[in-house]
Order: sequence, then C-alpha cells, then structure tokens
Amino acid sequence: MRRERSRTNRPPRRSIVARTDADDEVLGRAFDRRLIARLWQTTRPHRRLVVAGMLLFPVVAAVELLQPWLVKVAIDEHILRADWAGLATIAGFYLATLAALYALHTVESYLMHLTGQRVMHDLRAALFERLLALDARFFDRNPVGRLMTRVLNDVEAVNDAFTGGLFAVVADVVTLAGVVAIMLWMDWRLALVTFSIVPALLVAAAYFRVRSRDAYREVRRRLARLNGFLQESLQGMSVIQLFARERHEHASFRRLNGDYRRALFGSTMFEASLYASVEALGSVALALLVWYGGSQIASGGLTFGALVAFMQYTHRFFLPIRDLGAKYAVMQAAMASSERIFGLLEVRPAIVSPASPSIARPTAGTPALEFRGVWFAYEGEDWVLRDCSFQVARGEHVAIVGATGEGKTTCARLLNRSYDVVRGQVLVDGVDVREWDLERLRRHVGIVFQDTLLFTGTVEANLRLGADGTVSSADLDRAVKLANARTFIESLPRGLGEELGERGHNVSQGQRQLLAIARALVYNPAVLILDEATSSVDPGSERLIQEAMRELVAGRTTVTIAHRLATIQGADRMLVLHRGRVHEEGTHQTLLRAGGLYAKLYELSMGARTA
Amino acid sequence: MGGVLCLAIATLASLGIPWTVKRAVEALETDAANAALGVFVGSILGLAAINAAARLGSRLAMIGAAQRVEADIRDDLYASLTRFPPALFTRYPTGDLMARATSDVSGVKTVVGFGGVSMIQTTFAFVGAIAAMVVVDPWLTLWAMLPFPAMILLARRFTSLVHERTEAMQGQLGVLSGRVQEHLAGMSVVRAYAMEGQARETFGQASAAYLRHALALSRIQAQFTPLMSLIAGVGTLVVLWAGGLAVVEGRITLGSLVAFNGYLAYLAWPTLALGWTLSMVRRGLTSMGRIQEVVEAVPDVERTEASRRVPRGGPAPRSRALAFRGLAFTYGDRAPALVDVTFEVGEGEVVAVVGPTGSGKSTLGLLLVRLWDPPIGTVFVGGQDVTAMDLATLRGDVAYVPQESFLFSRSIQDNVTLARPDVDQVEAKQAIVLAGVAEEIEGLPRGLDTVVGERGLTLSGGQRQRVALARALAGEAPILVLDDVFANVDAAKEEEILGNLAGALHGRTVLLTTHRLRAARAADRIVVLDAGRVVETGTHDALIERGGLYARLWRIQQLEEEIAHAP
Repeated sequence: MRRERSRTNRPPRRSIVARTDADDEVLGRAFDRRLIARLWQTTRPHRRLVVAGMLLFPVVAAVELLQPWLVKVAIDEHILRADWAGLATIAGFYLATLAALYALHTVESYLMHLTGQRVMHDLRAALFERLLALDARFFDRNPVGRLMTRVLNDVEAVNDAFTGGLFAVVADVVTLAGVVAIMLWMDWRLALVTFSIVPALLVAAAYFRVRSRDAYREVRRRLARLNGFLQESLQGMSVIQLFARERHEHASFRRLNGDYRRALFGSTMFEASLYASVEALGSVALALLVWYGGSQIASGGLTFGALVAFMQYTHRFFLPIRDLGAKYAVMQAAMASSERIFGLLEVRPAIVSPASPSIARPTAGTPALEFRGVWFAYEGEDWVLRDCSFQVARGEHVAIVGATGEGKTTCARLLNRSYDVVRGQVLVDGVDVREWDLERLRRHVGIVFQDTLLFTGTVEANLRLGADGTVSSADLDRAVKLANARTFIESLPRGLGEELGERGHNVSQGQRQLLAIARALVYNPAVLILDEATSSVDPGSERLIQEAMRELVAGRTTVTIAHRLATIQGADRMLVLHRGRVHEEGTHQTLLRAGGLYAKLYELSMGARTA
Repeated sequence: MGGVLCLAIATLASLGIPWTVKRAVEALETDAANAALGVFVGSILGLAAINAAARLGSRLAMIGAAQRVEADIRDDLYASLTRFPPALFTRYPTGDLMARATSDVSGVKTVVGFGGVSMIQTTFAFVGAIAAMVVVDPWLTLWAMLPFPAMILLARRFTSLVHERTEAMQGQLGVLSGRVQEHLAGMSVVRAYAMEGQARETFGQASAAYLRHALALSRIQAQFTPLMSLIAGVGTLVVLWAGGLAVVEGRITLGSLVAFNGYLAYLAWPTLALGWTLSMVRRGLTSMGRIQEVVEAVPDVERTEASRRVPRGGPAPRSRALAFRGLAFTYGDRAPALVDVTFEVGEGEVVAVVGPTGSGKSTLGLLLVRLWDPPIGTVFVGGQDVTAMDLATLRGDVAYVPQESFLFSRSIQDNVTLARPDVDQVEAKQAIVLAGVAEEIEGLPRGLDTVVGERGLTLSGGQRQRVALARALAGEAPILVLDDVFANVDAAKEEEILGNLAGALHGRTVLLTTHRLRAARAADRIVVLDAGRVVETGTHDALIERGGLYARLWRIQQLEEEIAHAP
C-alpha cells in the first residue's frame, strides 16, 4: 500500500508533527514601526473599545496618584494637628479612591482583554479565510502543522502584544507622566533631586536591554537546536537503537541541553541584574529624598506629609520601569508572530475566478469536456501529462485507465481547477476552465474522491455543503436517493441529524462512500467525475455503490477514473493513459481484442484480484 | 541553600530600609535641625547595596538550580526515550512527545524556579514584615493584618475559578484546532464542492465559542488583581486611620506610621504573587504527571531490560543461521500479521521473502532485531532465542535495513558511520560504493560532507535507501536483513546492486524481502508468504514450475513491466 501511494503523482507532503520550523525561530525587533502600524490597523473595527480603554488610562492614573496626596494631607493637616474629625474625612476619601480604583482597574483590564481577544478572533477568521482561498500548490508546499501554528499559536502571541505589551506600555507612560507632573508641582526642587538618577536608570536600561536581547536570541537559537535534535531522535529512534548508538546520541543531547541551559542562565543573569539595579536605584532615590527632604524639613521648606507622599510617588515611578524587561520580551515574541501572520495574509492565491467570467453557451456539437494539448507537472519539468488531448461528448460515459502514476487523478484535479495546466487548455462546455467562475465550475463538475473525507457535524450538514440555502430539501432527497444512501441514513438513530465524528469515523468505509456520492450529487452536476475507491468496502455497500453508479451515469456526462478495471466494462469508451497522453481508446471489447496496453492492464487487474 | 541564605539577607536588608526611614522621620520630628541625616542616607544606601547584591545572588542561585532541574528532567526523558520500543512510539506520536519534552518540561521548571522563588520569597517577606510591624506596634499590626485572611480565601477561590475556566477554554481550543486541522487537511474536498461557506461557518462557530470562553476567563482575571489591591488598600486605610489616631494620641511616632506604610507596600507584591503561584503549581503538577507517564512507560519492555543486563560477551552465537519456528505475531489488537511461519536461513545463505502487500514480510525483520518482541521460542539467531539475547550483541550481529530509511540532518559520512568506533572512513566509503550510491554522492556539492535531511539537502527516496544500506553494510555484521530496501530504486539498479553485493557478501547470511521478484530470482531460496503464512518455498525455477502464488505474482510483474516499458 505504502509503495503504491509513493508512486502516485502527488507531491510528497511533509509529516504533520510539531516541528520547529526554521522561520518560527526568527526574532524580530521588539518595536517594528511597520508591524505596529499593521497591528493598529487590526483594531479598527474595535476602535471604540480601544478609545474607551485609552480614555480610562489618565483617569486611572489620576485616581492612583490621588492616594499619596491624601496621605500627605492626612499627615500635615490632621495627624500632626491632632484633628481627629478631619482625619476621618480623609479616610473616607481614601476609601472612595480604593473603590473607584477597583472598578476602574477591572473595567480597564477587561477592555484590554476584550480588544485583544476580538482582534485575535478577527485575525483567526482572516487567516482561515485566506487559507480557504489558497490553491492546492500552496498546500503542497506548506505542511498543515505549520499552518495550524499560524492560525492558533501566532494569533495568541498577538493577543499578548495587546494586553501585556502595547496597552500596558501606554498605561505606564501615562502614569509616569502623571507622577512627574505631580512631583514637579508639589516641590520642583525635590522632584529634580529625585530625577537626578534618571540618566543612570536610562543607561542601565539601555545596556541591559541590548545585552538581554542578544542573550535571548542565543537562548532561542540553542532551544531550536535542542528541539530539532530531539525531534530527529524521535523520528530516527529505531536507527539509533538498531546500531546501539543510544549512549552516543544521549551524550550529544546532553551537550546541547547543557548549551541551552547555559544560554538560558546568561539571559536570566541580565534580567535579574536589570531588576536588581532598578531596585537599587529606587533605594538611591529614597536616600536622596531623606537627605534633601530631611534638610528641607529642618529648614521648614517641606512638610512631613509631602516627604511621605514623595516617597510613595517615587515608588510608583520605579514600578513600571522595573517591569519593562518582561514587556520587552512579550513584544519581541509578538512582533515575530505578527510578521508571520501578516506574511501569510499577504500570500495571493494563484487560482481565482476571472474578473469577467465567460458563460458557456454550448451548441449541440460542443464536447462536454476537452483536454487540448495539456502539459502538467506538480514540480518543475517532472511532466505527468505531456501534450494530452481528448474529448468527452455530452452524456457520454468515459473511463480513464492506466498504470499507477500515469496521471488519471491529475485529470480530475485539472477539471475542477485544483491546479492549472502548465501548457494547453482544459475546456468544459467549450470554455476554458480558467474563464469559468470558480464556484460555478465546481458546481458544474462534481467529483467523488477516492478519499471519502467527511467533516465533523451532522450527516445533513455534510450533504448540504453549507447553510447558504442554495440546497433545498428536495435536492437533498434526490441526491440521497440517487446515491442509494437512503436506507442507510434512515437506519441511523437520528437519521440526517446523526452527528459524524471527526473525519466521519463512526460510519463504515462503505457508508462513507455512499455519503460522499450523495454529497457530489446535491448540486446535480452536469458532469460527474468518479475517482474510483481503491480501498475495499464491505460487500453490502459495494453492491449499493455499484447500483448507484449505474443510476448516476444514465444521461449524465461521466468520467470514471478506474483503478479496478472489472467495474467499468459498461463505459462507452476507455481512454488508456500512458506516458502522459492517451495511448489507446475504444470500447472494452475492441481494446481487449486489440491486445494492446488495455488488454495487459485488464489481465493485471484480474490477476491482482485473485493474487 | 546559598540561594535561600541570600534571600534571607536580602529580605532583612530590604526590611531595614523602611526602618531607617522611620528613624530618620523620628529624628526629624524630635529635632529637625540636628538630625544626623548623613547616617540615615548612608544606611539606606548600604542596605540597598546589600539587598541588590543578595537578591541578585539568590535569584541566580535559585533560578540557576531550577534550570539545572529542568535540564536534568529533559535529560532523563531523553534517556527513557532511547529505550522506547516502536510499540510505544505508536502510542505516543512524535508531536505528543515533543510537547511533553518542551512545554511540559518548561511547565515544571516554572514551578520549581519561579514558583519556588516566589514561595520562599513570600514566606520570608511575610515573616519579616510582620515581625518588623509587631516590633513597631502590635495593635496596629493586628489592624493592618485584618484583611489578609480574606485575601487568601479570595485568592484560593479565584484560583480554582481561573483553573475551571482555563480548562474550559483549553477544551474549546482543542475543538477549534480540530476544526482547523480537519479543513486544512481536507482542503481538496472543500475546494471541489465549493464548501468554503460551510467551512467558514463551522470555523466561525468554533472560533466564536473560543472567544466566549476566553472572555469568561478574562472577566475573572480582570477582577482578580484589582480586588486584591482593594483589600490591601483597605489595610493601608486602616493603618492610616488607626495609626493616625495613635500618633495623635502620642502612642506611636509619625516615623512608625511611615514605616508601617512602607511594610504594607512591601507586602503587596508577594500577596498578589501568591495567587499566581498557586495556579502555577497546579499546572506544573499536571505537567510533571505527563512527563512521569512517559518515563514510566518504559517498564512495558521489562523483558528487553532484563535481557539487556546479560553481560556483553556472554555466549556468542554458535553460527550465523536464522530460524523462525511456528512464529505467530499480532500488533496490538489488529488482525494477526503472521500466523504460522517456519523456515530457516542457513549460514551464508541468501533467502528472499516475497508476497503480496500485507502478507507480513516486513514483520519478520522487525522481530529478528527485536524492534518488536516476538513470542519466546519462535525466532532464533545462531541457534539462540533472540528474546534471551543481549540486545547489543543481537543488533551487532544482525544488520537490519528498514523499508523506511531515515537519515539524520548530518553529513552523509556521519549518517553512514553514526560515530561507531569500529567504523572508519575507509570502511564507510567502501560501503557507499557497495550500496551503489557513490557516484551520485560524488556529484553533490560537498560530497560525503554534504548535510542531508530536514536541515540539509533532500536526497531522493532511492538515494536515501542506499545511504541507509551503506550504513548497515559498514558495520560488517555477519547477518544482513534487507526489508524491501530498493522499493524506490529502479529495477535495473536494484539488480546491479544485488549483483555487487553477492560478490562482496560471500559468507554473510542474507534475508531479503522484496516486492520485485526479479531481484528475488538470484536468491538461493525463495520463501513465499501470503496472509502471514508460508505458502511456497523453493528456487525461482521450481516455483514457476509449480504454478502457484509465486508464478501468478511473477506473471503480474511481467505485465507491469511490459506496461511500463510500452513505447
């Protein structure tokens, strides 16, 4: 089976595992103006929330900064003057600020999360929408696992950018501005003495920021290596075991593990040093306050209350600066994620509806389907079809046969424009498929796949293909009846309402095929492509499927892609694909009599059945 | 331990600062003109320096220790993964194991590191600050501590609410990710039936439900910090009020009141951290459990372990013959792969095993080298039951090349030698020539030093298979088991390589499974498997004569060749 599959013409997909992609490890700058501008764009639909949040910042800062002021008043005007009643009033005010802050902070925090989550929701939808529009070649190149990371994880990092980064920084800036203003207003000399340590603070922050960024990059690099090694070990573990290399590989792993640990410690050291320095500078500021403020009190230029308030303001001044490092890391990760998200959003689908689609107006002689000198390769010059030409008349039943890997399924993929031809033309009703409206084309040409993939949801949802109301209940009934699926669906406990598990795992293979056939029929397509299932199904379903097939074919243009030649002898015409073009054509009987390739394929098919 | 000591020193030093401020204020209060401000300023600076140094030291020591623990856990995990038999890899897919080795390990680290530091820090801070406050004024301390029990109760209540809603959100994330996966993997169907609308809708519903869950969590989290601040603020208020009264009545000094405020502010952060620490510990324990599960999964192959302990250089195989006797084998709960297989491969004999897909050919090789364990007394190498052999000895004697060749992202040279002490460069080169891939490798930009695999050059399937073959040939193992290793090589090349091998391998015992009967024709003997049973045995000519399954398969392949070679 495995060998068989590797020979079909499908570009190999990389395995879906949580691999650490190289491009997932690139770290951007923490504040990339272009990216921040794009992120800001994403908040546009929620501008009112953002504005409301932003308006709250100064209010919150004002109330917060009122508290030390109240303490000052309490000390200077009431406690030191033994004014018991006045103190009670101040305490009342203080309680009011506490209650207000509780409410304000809660609302503020919720607004931030609400914005972040809504933006995230929008981004997820935009990414999914883009993925829906992208063509098959894109999916051949990008493993599902990586795309899932974009839609789920990277989006999460962007949410962090809003809640833990951007908004928090703006709030901090507003608070800092408030603290500076109030300190200058209360006593500008004392304020300036306190601020004299700001240059030292800036130097320390700049130094550690650069160092910790480098250290952080090193950590990411080492981690990527460590995880890469681990992932590879897991995939190649049997090789390691077979050649008894466990100890050697373990030693290599230990070395990488140690490298990572050391890098991590290096980065921890810078973070901890920054934290400690900022804290120490905070104490220096306090010492300056005691020294200058104390002498001012001695000379009567300052009150006790003002000194205490100043101490509290200084504390609030240092808090946001101390936590800057953490915000920096959040922003850095978020920038890298947004870069990847916006990168994916910018990918343009290669296969889209033309701006002004042609409407097919076939005359009696126009073939329903036509391949005209088609050349196609999944990759480079690896031609699967080379100058392939054939026609299928209206109402005709044609079977495409050929050895594995001769491009039979590829023909179906070109007919519904999953891929575009490299050279030549594919025409449906005399119009090049590239000139058809994409949705119209895909409803005109129905395909039943080898792989009967169903989706989580009810049987009905799987058959209706969308709730846009274009499929009536009558359409549904007709499709179910035609596909011979009615008895089976009625036997389900909830009938059409039965929930199918992920990928339809709770119904049998044969039943899934019946559903897949019904699904292809709901739009009553003028052309039906049956990519015959290679996997076997139970005899009961097999009989139902064969019966259904006979019904379907009647009066409809049908192309059967045949893997087992026994079932298609009734076709009007056989097309034998060989070396990328039609090698023989004719009815089963004539081809068999001619004793060419078809005869051999037929014998092979019969032989394989008994082997 | 040094870390804890440092933390104790840092706590004392940082508690000393508000104390110094208190004394400074008292000095200013009593005699502002003669207050020795210099002493206080000096003390603050000194205490700040000690605090900074000690706190840095404690953080580095404790986080460093946590990082060491993390590295050790990861190392242990790797060690047990190297003992994982294939059976366990089917139970734990790569993605799952990667998740355990990355996010779960770092989850544990967070608990040990950040969690540990913050636990100890919180304890010290509470003990120190409360002690200092009691010294200043016991009654006021009692007043100030009033809101804390409420705070702790609330924190616990919140933590469990947060946990509950986080679980719900994670559950919905699972649903969402299932939807995304399903549609991305089934994009061909979505495209063919123009189902974009439905896809959009189901995705939109899952995404919206996730948004609802996330916001439910946000509502709790948004309240948490402000509520804690509110309660802590009430403490400050009580101090301001009750303490102010005490100052007015002359029971305590203004300096004490200031110091009290300082200590309360000091406690605000550890209290907030308490809640987070609790939820972190809970998450960390779950992670630890998930890691433990993997580490403990290994005893499943206890038998392997027991035989591994047989000292190397124990009884060497008496001969290089292979034998299967009444072998039946089933993978887990699937249909039987082998029903009753009995045949022998004599020393120096080349035996080919052929049969239709799913006949059980590959299972033979897997059981021979014990990637899966056969039942006791069914598979023999050199007359010894493989289940009783030392694994290293067995695998040293039997070089097995699997169908799916795996190359590491290393140079081709390293992929062939695998840093085995007994394989030198010359041997590696010979093996590469023998495997028939030497010319192609020479054509690569860096020859044998070319890095291949995920982070290097992608070789074709056939090239990969031949490099893997060279890897097995290089070890000079006396027995060679080749499991359809030429599946991706064209038939002519396969025959050429087998021709070369026949010359170079004289004396080695070879068991070869293959799809291509043409390649099997050269074997001394051919064993035909069908549905897990040996149905025919003999030379090519004898089997053709017999007109059974082999003859039919032969005819099919002839037809296939004719079709492929048709003009």
